[in-house]
Amino acid sequence: MTKYTMYSKMIVHSLLRRRSRMFVALLAVAIGATVLSGLVTIYYDVPRQMGREFRSYGANLILIPAGDSQVVAETDVARATELLPQEQLVGIASYLYGRIKVNEQPIMVAGIHFQEVKKVSPFWQIRGNWPEEQAGDILIGAEVAELLKVEPGQSVTLAAGESERKAKVAGIVRTGGTEENYIFTDLPMLQQMLNKEGQVSVTQVSVMATEAELTTFTKTAGDKVPAVTPRLVKRVTQSEEMVLGKLQALVYLVTIVVLLLTLICVATTMMAVVAERRKEIGLKKALGAENRSIVLEFLGEGLMLGLLGGLLGTVLGFFFAQSVSVNVFGRMISFQPLIACMALIVSIMVTGVACLIPVKTATSVEPAIVLRGE
Amino acid sequence: MFWQILKGSLVRQRQKMFMVAITIALGVSLTTAMLNVMLDVGDKVNRELKAYGANITVTPRSASILHDFYGVEAGGAGQYLQESELGKLKTIFWANNIVDFSPILETRAIIGQTASEITLVGTWFNHRLDLPTGETVETGIKQLKSWWSVEGNWVQESSQGAMLGSMAASRLGLQIGDEIDLVIPGSDRTAKVKIEGVFNSGGPEDEEIFVPLGLAQKLTNLPGKVGKIEVSAITTPENELARKAAHDPKSLSLKEWETWYCTAYVGAIAYQIEEAITGAHAKPVRQVAESEGAILQKTQLLMLLITVLSLIGSTLGISNLLTASVMERNREVGLLKALGADDTEVLVLTLSQILFTGIAGGFAGYFLGLGFAQIIGQTVFSAAVAAKPMVIPIVMVLVVLVTLTGSLPAIRMLVSLRPAEVLHGR
Repeated sequence: MTKYTMYSKMIVHSLLRRRSRMFVALLAVAIGATVLSGLVTIYYDVPRQMGREFRSYGANLILIPAGDSQVVAETDVARATELLPQEQLVGIASYLYGRIKVNEQPIMVAGIHFQEVKKVSPFWQIRGNWPEEQAGDILIGAEVAELLKVEPGQSVTLAAGESERKAKVAGIVRTGGTEENYIFTDLPMLQQMLNKEGQVSVTQVSVMATEAELTTFTKTAGDKVPAVTPRLVKRVTQSEEMVLGKLQALVYLVTIVVLLLTLICVATTMMAVVAERRKEIGLKKALGAENRSIVLEFLGEGLMLGLLGGLLGTVLGFFFAQSVSVNVFGRMISFQPLIACMALIVSIMVTGVACLIPVKTATSVEPAIVLRGE
Repeated sequence: MFWQILKGSLVRQRQKMFMVAITIALGVSLTTAMLNVMLDVGDKVNRELKAYGANITVTPRSASILHDFYGVEAGGAGQYLQESELGKLKTIFWANNIVDFSPILETRAIIGQTASEITLVGTWFNHRLDLPTGETVETGIKQLKSWWSVEGNWVQESSQGAMLGSMAASRLGLQIGDEIDLVIPGSDRTAKVKIEGVFNSGGPEDEEIFVPLGLAQKLTNLPGKVGKIEVSAITTPENELARKAAHDPKSLSLKEWETWYCTAYVGAIAYQIEEAITGAHAKPVRQVAESEGAILQKTQLLMLLITVLSLIGSTLGISNLLTASVMERNREVGLLKALGADDTEVLVLTLSQILFTGIAGGFAGYFLGLGFAQIIGQTVFSAAVAAKPMVIPIVMVLVVLVTLTGSLPAIRMLVSLRPAEVLHGR
């Protein structure tokens, strides 16, 4: 019992009495642990956060009517999309295509829910405004706008069969794609005009999921809801997989390099701090201490430093990762206990090992030589 | 005398000084590697994002509306682009930013064996093109549509081969190796092609058949004409100026217009393509162009923050070690002071020792860092990371700053040191 009291007393006192130097060592360990926990947290979090960014490429999954049918019931689409992981869903935009007359000209038309399309296809450039839901306003493709010579704010006449109505052009859509040849109305309004209540032609889904997850979904949804055929938008899913993989590899390698160098830095600092205590070791040996007890004492000190520095660093590292996430992605991250534990263990280990190397060389020296100096 | 002391201390304490130099070298190599990677990451990621395919489509100015709305195939000049003009894409101001491009000529055809109608697309698969500048480029949809998964082979340019979309293949019951007759409805032009590959693109192309451009031109009787060009270009993320220009390039002031024209905005590149190719209308594909910018900015910001963290880390690490190494030399300094050296002399001596070690370590670290940057570049992007010259002054300033500030606490201690106390020992 007394042996342990003495042991702990020696360690605590050596830490306290040599405050300035121990502070230097503590700082070194803390920096190492900060870099470690911060970078590993970022590495762990990046694919998830980046995956969200990649959703700006638009839908990665489309649901089309099965077989030769041109339309599918909205209820069937809803049943299929319920099978998707709801919290990873970015948006579901249904389209109903048709042909109507706009100002007496036959134009292709798509009925959409504007709010959903805005979520699924954030790349649409709108001159003017997005229409309010249910207001009856329309969006108009840039090519059509040129053809009809209309500007945002003007009104056009929509005619399909018997029904005819006036609608205000809220904005002009520019995408560089086929959307520029369409006009877009509110979905229920078009369903009514074309007598296709409750029906849609195609549904675009934007969901944060890997290609493999999406492939399994297309199988299960195809089996459970036979009326729809889910298809991957390969261009988006495959490219996302590829680019995201590269990005992750980049962060991974950078993390490894930074960690390696930081740990070596920590180790050299610890070695320098311990190496200057050769005299102390010599004195202890002269007083009759065994090599084993000297090693144990220094190890105890090292572990203590590693623990303190590691704790400090882990907390700092989390805040660093948090600020990166907030600044880059505008989102918070959750605390990962596993990473914190790992950072703590690594910093204790590195400090311990870094302490032992100079102590080993010091203990092998004759005390008389060390005590005489040089 | 000064030099003798300096040299003596460096040689005699070479082990300690070596350690300091190593730590500085590690810190500097980290800084160099991270700065180089950070400065280059935008370019590299941008190239990766080319996997998303074309971001500019070029169509004939007058044909676009007629065809899209009424399906009218009006003949005559002006409805098509000239195949011979494609090389001009590589002569515009931002020619180096144009990575891949491919012409498209579409028509409806009937497959003789099954009597079913299909969209026939003539294109370049992997075409060697001689440029007016004397260079040759290899381009085509093999590069442009990297996400296609292909069973069988890509078609050779000269062959009578075709590639069939996966949905069309399963609908018509055709397989790789089958020979089919293509007939243009309402004419007697036919061709026999062999299906060399079946592709799955996950898009509308899955319902189409792709043949070499020359064959499509023969079938449609439109020699040397193309209907559309898809272009993949490396672009700068959009900003306010680019949006203003996209709305109407004429609304810019002369100075703004110059900046816009000489920046690789997708709009500016499209504008230059219109200038180069007669009767062309180049449209940026917003889906690709906008998203690229967003992802690029996020990646760069992420790398910047990681770089800052590693910079702070290595700075603190170096200054820590310096403090430790100066502190342990208090006896030597005590002796110097006892022999009559004043504070300035002691300071100059210590600082020059540190700076000397720092510069040596920094030099080694810079090259080590370049090595690290190359490892990262090769492993992740399979391309070398360009060694930016601007990293050198940054690193130099950093080394001097870090070694000096790092030794500040130690210097304070040295100045307040009382020789008698130290020499006597505690």
